[in-house]
Amino acid sequence: MNDVAIETKDLTRRFGDRTAVDHVNITIRYGEIFGYLGANGAGKSTTIRMLCGILMPTSGTAVVGGYDVTTDPESVKKSIGYVSQKFSLYQDLTVKENLEFFGRIYQLESRRLRDRIESVLRLTGLKEYENHLARELSGGWKQRLAVANGLLHEPKILFLDEPTAGVDPMSRRGIWELLYQLADQGVSLFVTTHYMEEAERCNQVAIIARGKMLRGGTPRELRESVSGQLLEVECSPLMKASQAFGRLPGVVGLTAYGTTLHLNVDNPKTVETALRETARAQNIAVTSVKPIAASLEDVFASLEKEMGAGD
Amino acid sequence: MCSRPLKRRWAPVINANIFAMVQKEFRHLSRDKRTVRLIIFMPLLQMLIYGFAIDTDVKHLYTVVQDEDQTPISRRLIQSFEQSAYFDIKKYVQNPQDFREALDRGGAKACLHIPPNFAKDILAGRVPQVQLLVDGTDSNPANTALNTGVAIVQSFVQKEGLVPIQVLPIDFRPRMWYNPDLKSAYFFVPGLVGLLIMLLIPVITATAIVREKENGNIEQLLVTPIKPYEIMIGKIIPYVFIGLIIAALILSGAHFIFQVPIRGNPITLFALTLLFLTVCLGIGLLASTIASTQQQASQLVMFFAAPSILLSGFIFPRENMPLPIYYLGTIIPLTYYLKIVRGVVLKGLGLWQLRDQILPLVIMAFVILFISVRKFHKRLA
Repeated sequence: MNDVAIETKDLTRRFGDRTAVDHVNITIRYGEIFGYLGANGAGKSTTIRMLCGILMPTSGTAVVGGYDVTTDPESVKKSIGYVSQKFSLYQDLTVKENLEFFGRIYQLESRRLRDRIESVLRLTGLKEYENHLARELSGGWKQRLAVANGLLHEPKILFLDEPTAGVDPMSRRGIWELLYQLADQGVSLFVTTHYMEEAERCNQVAIIARGKMLRGGTPRELRESVSGQLLEVECSPLMKASQAFGRLPGVVGLTAYGTTLHLNVDNPKTVETALRETARAQNIAVTSVKPIAASLEDVFASLEKEMGAGD
Repeated sequence: MCSRPLKRRWAPVINANIFAMVQKEFRHLSRDKRTVRLIIFMPLLQMLIYGFAIDTDVKHLYTVVQDEDQTPISRRLIQSFEQSAYFDIKKYVQNPQDFREALDRGGAKACLHIPPNFAKDILAGRVPQVQLLVDGTDSNPANTALNTGVAIVQSFVQKEGLVPIQVLPIDFRPRMWYNPDLKSAYFFVPGLVGLLIMLLIPVITATAIVREKENGNIEQLLVTPIKPYEIMIGKIIPYVFIGLIIAALILSGAHFIFQVPIRGNPITLFALTLLFLTVCLGIGLLASTIASTQQQASQLVMFFAAPSILLSGFIFPRENMPLPIYYLGTIIPLTYYLKIVRGVVLKGLGLWQLRDQILPLVIMAFVILFISVRKFHKRLA
């Protein structure tokens, strides 16, 4: 099992009487992109902090890059790279100065440091900006710099906390291409996100809510796990419709998608009949109702509904 | 939260990580024009203000004279007043009303009145009477003027050999030591070293550390193998340098511009300045563990530094303060350092003579550093 990059067993962290991360079990292999999906405050950052060796678990274990985070956090730190959610390099240093500083902290000797800086600058396409101050870079380029910085010491594991938050779609695609390239080189990438379409790009996905891991697997496995079927309903007004249809018997989940609603239902036929009746009674215009395949967002919505029912 | 990575030995105190931090800090400084300007111009400006503008020296007092004696002896007395450079005899009047007039209209600051029998009294061996009226609205110069006047009269009487030994049984020869000319630059300019270190170093240190927190840099540093103590020392070292540069700048200014003699051992002064710097850096560090924004940090430090100016005896002698305020001054580090810097520069004192000032500073340094280092670690973890 030496191709396992990260493995956790019942990883748990409590803050007072609040459980931020609750018995999470994850296995990630080298060369894999692992998507850690959840709303803000679901426990994503707490998990990352534990896996990076800067926060001790309350119970459970985590082995990262072959080192136990509880007994050898210093070795863990040396074998991982970390790209934080908020840009946290130095805005008043140039691209190159930032890399020089962090490279030295990772104790790269000077010739190797020079080579590494050259190579991460080329990899991330930052070469021509090397003498720009970090604050002069746009959001997307800043993120590339953060990735470049995370890769300086050639870690086999890279953590990215919402790497594309606040980045425009073009740059976002560029960053993902970079991540694929890294995965091809055997780096394992642990990516947190709340963009569902980004989760679709991962090899493995885990969905976390209120500290608990609800479901894990490939995006495809997750989509297929949605119980029942999905109906796409084109209707207006949307708010009124979503309130009315959400209360119908047989509707397990409901998400708004642009001008349509996705209803996760146990029996499409009976729900459609009930839906059209309600629409007539409440003056809601329904243009079309058709069965569709589930997306990860639907998975998420149905899980949330299950969680709500369980409370 | 987690304490494990922090429990490391402090063995290699200056290592590559610290060196990298120091270099980075200087790069920050080189881009932070505002702080650099503050570090260079504030000492210069303060030196000019306290060296030239604030002059509590009493010189060239507008003096009015009524000489009712009109003898060679009385004229010689007036002459010795004039020669002292403290009094400028500008006007002779005939009656006491003119005295009043001269003082009230604000022109005159001192009036010398020599009564009719001045010379006769002296020659007869009686105690002669001379009156010196001084405008007391500004109490400091008034005091000096009075004392100087008394001294002039005494030395005059002795010089003239007019008073038999038995009349003045004590041969009183007052002499001002260390600053015989009572130049206020001697007093203020060396003190500026302490004042500026107190005003600048804690603020710059605190904001530099808090900036890492505010910008989220700490988050990135924490996941690297650098240790909290390395971050701390690396952040502090540049400001030790800056503190020493400020000290050197002011002391050379004191010496070359204001001709303040440096009587003590520069190495003693250097060592004790380092001690004072340690206390100031500790204050900055402590503020950085409490504040979460740079603005909070600088306000917090200012809250402490501003009263120091008045309570430490930088301008007003602490001996004249009400007792509670006097004791408040004893918890202010600047109080001790001022005595040290003035003592070494003007009096040439050594370590042993300054032990009463050094000991409190050493205790303060230990207490403040102990508390702030502990809090610093906790905040980082």
